[in-house]
Amino acid sequence: MIRHLTRRLTWAMVTLIAVYVITFFMVVMVPGQPFQQSDRNMPIEVERALRAQYSMDNNWLYFWEFLGGAVKLDFGPSFTYNDWTCTQIVAHALPISATIGILAILFAVLVGVPLGVISASRRNTWLDVSIVSGVLIGISLPTFVTGAALLAVFTVAWPILPIGGWGTLQHLPLPVITLSLPFIAYICRLTRMAMLDALSSDYIRTAIAKGVSPHDVLWTHALKVAFLPVLSYVGPATAQAVTGSFVVEKVFGVPGMGQHFVNAALNADAGLIMSTVLVFSVSLISLNFVIDVLYAWLDPRIIMAY
Amino acid sequence: MTAFRPFTWVGSTLAIALVFAFFTSTQETPADFRYVNSSGVHTLDPARMSWSQDFRVALNIWEGLTTSDPRTTQAQAGAAMFPPQLSSDQLTYTFTIREDARWSNGDPVLASDYIRGWRRGMEPGTGTDYTFLFTDNVAGASEYVHWRQRATGALTAMDRLRHGWDIDEQAALSLSRHPIFHDIQPHLPPSFFTDFDRDQGVALAKQLSASTLDWGDLYQRTFDQHVAKMDQRFSTVGLEAADDKTLVVRLLRPCPYFLDLTSFPSFLPCHASVELLRESVAGLTPEGLVVYDPQWTKPGCRKNGYPGLITNGPYYVSDWKFKRRLRMSANPFHRAFDTISSRTIDMLVYENTSVALMAYEAGEVDFLPGMDVPYDHEIAKLAQTGQRPDFHICKTFATYFMSFNCIDKRIEDRPNPFIDARVRRAFALAVDKNAIVNAVLQRGDLVAHTFIPPDALQGYHSSSGIQMDVAKAKQLLDEAGYPDGNNLPAVTLLYVPSDERVCQALARMWETNLGATVELRCQETKSFAEDKANHRFMIARGNWYGDYYDPTTFLDCFNTGNGNNDSGYSNEAYDKLLNRARNTANTTQRLSLLAQAERIIVEKDFPIIPLLHYSSPIAIKPYVSGLYPNPRLRFPFRYVSVDR
Repeated sequence: MIRHLTRRLTWAMVTLIAVYVITFFMVVMVPGQPFQQSDRNMPIEVERALRAQYSMDNNWLYFWEFLGGAVKLDFGPSFTYNDWTCTQIVAHALPISATIGILAILFAVLVGVPLGVISASRRNTWLDVSIVSGVLIGISLPTFVTGAALLAVFTVAWPILPIGGWGTLQHLPLPVITLSLPFIAYICRLTRMAMLDALSSDYIRTAIAKGVSPHDVLWTHALKVAFLPVLSYVGPATAQAVTGSFVVEKVFGVPGMGQHFVNAALNADAGLIMSTVLVFSVSLISLNFVIDVLYAWLDPRIIMAY
Repeated sequence: MTAFRPFTWVGSTLAIALVFAFFTSTQETPADFRYVNSSGVHTLDPARMSWSQDFRVALNIWEGLTTSDPRTTQAQAGAAMFPPQLSSDQLTYTFTIREDARWSNGDPVLASDYIRGWRRGMEPGTGTDYTFLFTDNVAGASEYVHWRQRATGALTAMDRLRHGWDIDEQAALSLSRHPIFHDIQPHLPPSFFTDFDRDQGVALAKQLSASTLDWGDLYQRTFDQHVAKMDQRFSTVGLEAADDKTLVVRLLRPCPYFLDLTSFPSFLPCHASVELLRESVAGLTPEGLVVYDPQWTKPGCRKNGYPGLITNGPYYVSDWKFKRRLRMSANPFHRAFDTISSRTIDMLVYENTSVALMAYEAGEVDFLPGMDVPYDHEIAKLAQTGQRPDFHICKTFATYFMSFNCIDKRIEDRPNPFIDARVRRAFALAVDKNAIVNAVLQRGDLVAHTFIPPDALQGYHSSSGIQMDVAKAKQLLDEAGYPDGNNLPAVTLLYVPSDERVCQALARMWETNLGATVELRCQETKSFAEDKANHRFMIARGNWYGDYYDPTTFLDCFNTGNGNNDSGYSNEAYDKLLNRARNTANTTQRLSLLAQAERIIVEKDFPIIPLLHYSSPIAIKPYVSGLYPNPRLRFPFRYVSVDR
């Protein structure tokens, strides 16, 4: 077990370093300087001095200085938002995205898994067919459509929720539900397939033969195995949800991380690009790591494979 | 494992309920007046501001020597007595700061606070886009700023050299322009150097990088000398605090719009506490820049005993949540405090402009200072037909245009036909501006025939420009050696994604009317800005917002060598007219000289094709009073009252 974990941890570090190196070089190579955000031109001496001030005229130095800062969670200044450091920006945005993301994933699991189980246990009934088609719609519809539809229903036609923004309880349901829809659909489908697989296996037949109640067979024996693929999906999905969805945040005016991924790149805001990418990678890698541990705990055979 | 039993569900539900409970505890009370700023504030540092949404906050939390009238935006009394004393030669303004002018912590506002603020606006790296407002108008400012810029250029280069790093030609050229170069030159191989072009710069950079000079010593000497001289040099700038409350400003030349300038954000004061957050040894970074901790604009910053942002306007910032909300509260020390009806103002951020509009419709916000939505033509129609009396159209002091590269003979692999004014003129004559404004965009913009929006300036007589004339355009192309567009190299049109429809229409017009081949080249804004600044374009989109009420805010862009002259346009007659206007005290004469200059660019030389003057729709709830649509989109909130 320890060996397994050490191995995964090493790989996690290597991945993170690779992400940093690749992002760094992409950032350095893009055209455009970050100091001037308007249409006007800046005197060349001043631009040079600013570049030098942030060590941006020497890539090698910049590479190490940024890395050194990042380790201490100091990502340097943002060039678009002069008054804020990248760390402050991430510290403002990440908890907001994380709240929405975690709730969305929780909601998706709570809804998606039972739907999958029900659909598998009532295979080929009208219930199954309607769940499967609902899921198909959930996967195919982009969030900007579902988000806009929800907005139209709950804020315009039947105005019970605020249109956008952040800060109160009422701001939560719409973005959380919108963000969770595709996850629900995917989790439901995964559960259904895995359940169908599990239900046709020998140990379930044995359990039924031994007189275990149908409820227990379904929700304990079969689901325990069928949940594994869902679990391995939930890890990266959580990272994705937690670090924000640009579309959902834009539609509902949520001041989360998603907007920074896009805007930082458009503004050539080097520090902000790298800090958002690093924060995303760290969440993705660490969540995957947690999932690995859980996986090993749920199904010890996995460690045997190493 | 007993997962997924009913109690697990109960547990998860409880967890969610807890999160919800946490949220309900952070409820915020809504402000008296709420408006939307779709992209948030970029900075609250007046010296660094470039965007109108930032200006809007700044002009409410700080107060200049003058402010602007909420209806006409003409200069009116601010923190100083109005009007100030003006000497008979119109070169010296004496401002007397009101006895009751106070900062939000109760300190009296001093003349030195204005000098501090203005100096920040001039310092390289601290002041950015608007340094020119000082260098063009205040006596001695240009010399000081250029002295500082030269020094930062040289110090940056030597700082790199003393660390043993190679420098490039740009750094070498910067160093060659500094007096210290006299000490360096004798140590270089004897050669041709007096004034350098780019190629020689490359050679010079190599020599400097390879030389064995004691860069550490040279750097330190230059740095020490520069620091020692800084205050003395600044004292030659025409700013003087005659006493605590008297600010004397000496101008370079008569400036009829100076009192308008003093209401502009670059001319706002700065509280003395900012000095606590000055970073760097001996007051300067190794590159020679003056740097303040950017946290100084935060109300909650307490570093080094800093008391948090202190301002002198009708409002102060009481809370600032990044990209979410900025709250302003009435400043109890401001003389108008008792008359301020909206005691708290919320600036809310909605990245999505459609959501902002929905929030306005739902009554969550009271004012939209811009409605840049994908269906803006619908908004314009609603406003124009009077169907929505709460939608107003502001005819802005701004122009959207296409500019030509007038200087480079070759661009990439092909010759540039636009160095010939006849070709530029032909392209201008072949554009159907009405179609662009009324059929393509349909936003209710004003068709532009001039660079300066007509009727915006009192006493200024705009040219009527030229009308579309395809026959004349063809004839001009013929004269220039391109009959029916033959021999004309493929023309590239550089733009950003928001110009897509306009540029496609333009390309079509030039192709059908002139037989030109037009290559459309859409770029994201950063690459676009870089290509444009480096003249890597034949035709490129552009826009310009006037900063102060005078023709020169537009016309200076085409002065030879102006930093914003992306066209590289240069015409001696034009420069002379601007120069004569600069030294003409008589207003009528001056404006007529400037109008002559504008005629050169919009009737004869065409460094640009003006396309339209933006109309910007705004929305004001009927229950709000004290907000007036105006061309500069300046909205002082102290006059606003809300009666829901």
